Amino acid sequence: MPRRLQIGGATILVLVILWYLSTTVFGLIAPGRFPSPQATIDALGHVLFRGYAGGTLIEHIFNSLRLVILGFLVAVATGVPLGLLMGWNRTAEALINPVFLIIRPIPPLAWIPLAILWLGLGDSAKILVIWFAAFVPSVINTYAGVRTIEKPVLEAAAMLGTPRLRFIREVLVPASSPMIFTGLRLSLQASWTTLVAAELVGAFYGLGRVLNVAQQDLYPGMILVGMIAVAILGWATTKALGKLEMRALSWNQAAALAGRG
Amino acid sequence: MGVIRFDNVGRVFGSKAKPFVALKDINLEVSNKEFVAIVGPSGCGKTTCLRLVAGFDFPSSGRVLVDETEIRRPRPERAVVFQQFALFPWKTVYANIELGLRNQNVARAEREDRIRQILELMNLEPYRDHFPHQLSGGMQQRVAIARAYVLDPEVLLMDEPFGALDAQTRVVMQEELVRLARRNPRTVLFITHAVEEAVYLADRVAIMTRAPGRIKEVLDVRSIREAEKWDSYEKIEDVMDLESFVHLRTHIWRSLREEKAAAAA
Ligand SMILES: Nc1ncnc2c1ncn2[C@@H]1O[C@H](COP(=O)(O)OP(=O)(O)OP(=O)(O)O)[C@@H](O)[C@H]1O
Ligand SMILES: [Mg+2]
Repeated sequence: MPRRLQIGGATILVLVILWYLSTTVFGLIAPGRFPSPQATIDALGHVLFRGYAGGTLIEHIFNSLRLVILGFLVAVATGVPLGLLMGWNRTAEALINPVFLIIRPIPPLAWIPLAILWLGLGDSAKILVIWFAAFVPSVINTYAGVRTIEKPVLEAAAMLGTPRLRFIREVLVPASSPMIFTGLRLSLQASWTTLVAAELVGAFYGLGRVLNVAQQDLYPGMILVGMIAVAILGWATTKALGKLEMRALSWNQAAALAGRG
Repeated sequence: MGVIRFDNVGRVFGSKAKPFVALKDINLEVSNKEFVAIVGPSGCGKTTCLRLVAGFDFPSSGRVLVDETEIRRPRPERAVVFQQFALFPWKTVYANIELGLRNQNVARAEREDRIRQILELMNLEPYRDHFPHQLSGGMQQRVAIARAYVLDPEVLLMDEPFGALDAQTRVVMQEELVRLARRNPRTVLFITHAVEEAVYLADRVAIMTRAPGRIKEVLDVRSIREAEKWDSYEKIEDVMDLESFVHLRTHIWRSLREEKAAAAA
């Protein structure tokens, strides 16, 4: 095992022991405020096997994950092309920028009431809210990525007679891809934040729903299970995106190494 | 064909209130398959001249013509070797060189053939699958040259193409370019700081003044080269020893030194 993992594992182990000591052994924290390890494991068993807040843990996870990925994909599929267009075309930039100036200061979570009002408590409202939240970082960073492309590279492509579609695919997109990926990472984060918030406010399933019901039931063990599940899922999806980025930007990795070396 | 003509060309940068005259009254004709080198102090407008022919920039006054038509946009028939390479960092050496050929719809087999030849010529074969950042500056520059050469363009525009090379590689590339130019002549506009390089490579050398850049003097190297039979020498250093070569070189040096002195004054 690599040394970094060993140290990380040791840190987590120490935290769990401290947690165990301060709750179960010494009773420093009241069980009604923060659950003991045992209470948390019980809650986990409860939601895993018997179900809680309308479904089993697997069902909640599946539902939240599905919505996050759907919302994220819709946001990226619309945001990146719009960012490319704004970066490339002065007219598009002039037309669209004012809209952004108005929309940007609105916190994404502030859209939730409107989305629920329009679309109810189902999936479409959640996807709409995620789209609002995750769209902006994708657009802004893609746009910035295009604007920072070095002019000689664009001129070289023009000199070689590169036709438009090929230019977009093989020059514009790869040249801005480091910034595009920055946008995607921020979009993914925004997707999780808004989804959990939206599910807290109103949902039939999902991890946010678990958190909300557990709070009403005064069930700290279940609250912690919900939080840990969200954390693990957020971490795993970010990791998956990172893997994709590493692969897509391998040429840039080489650049970073060359720059450092 | 490939006749370049600067017709009273001027280029002014900056604002109306604070104009900066980069080029003034440039008149120069490069005939078909002629090799013309431009030398001049840094910032005198050499790159600007080249960009006008490439179609990246346009004159503020006068006209720049290729085969008597005004230049409107970049074309692969006027291939450029950029001062800062301008390679595509996300493409391998092979893919960098291949893009122009793909754009011209050259069949895959022929592409492979032509790229293999050019890689061999440039001593780049072992690096065909490398990314630009894995290469030294000199190798990157050779890729940039290969990317232009492979198109077999009517006009080659080269902006200090050997600037980043070490002295040995530079000499090899110069000899190679001469061989190439003799075997397969093109119209070449070649910018350099190196006076010897200009004299060795060019049919004519244009000397520019410091900003606002004008053409101060155009030297006919070709007639001297032919009269003194430079081409009968295999190696660059043998040519550089000839009295006729030294004479020309010194003349250009003096001319450039005057410009630097004037700039300092
Ligand atoms: N797009 C531009 N906007 C404003 N000024 C410019 C622009 N391009 C060039 N210049 C100016 O025009 C002058 C000539 O520039 P140019 O790049 O042609 O010089 P150069 O002879 O190629 O110099 P070097 O030998 O250092 O490459 C410089 O003073 C430069 O600052
Ligand atoms: Mg220059």
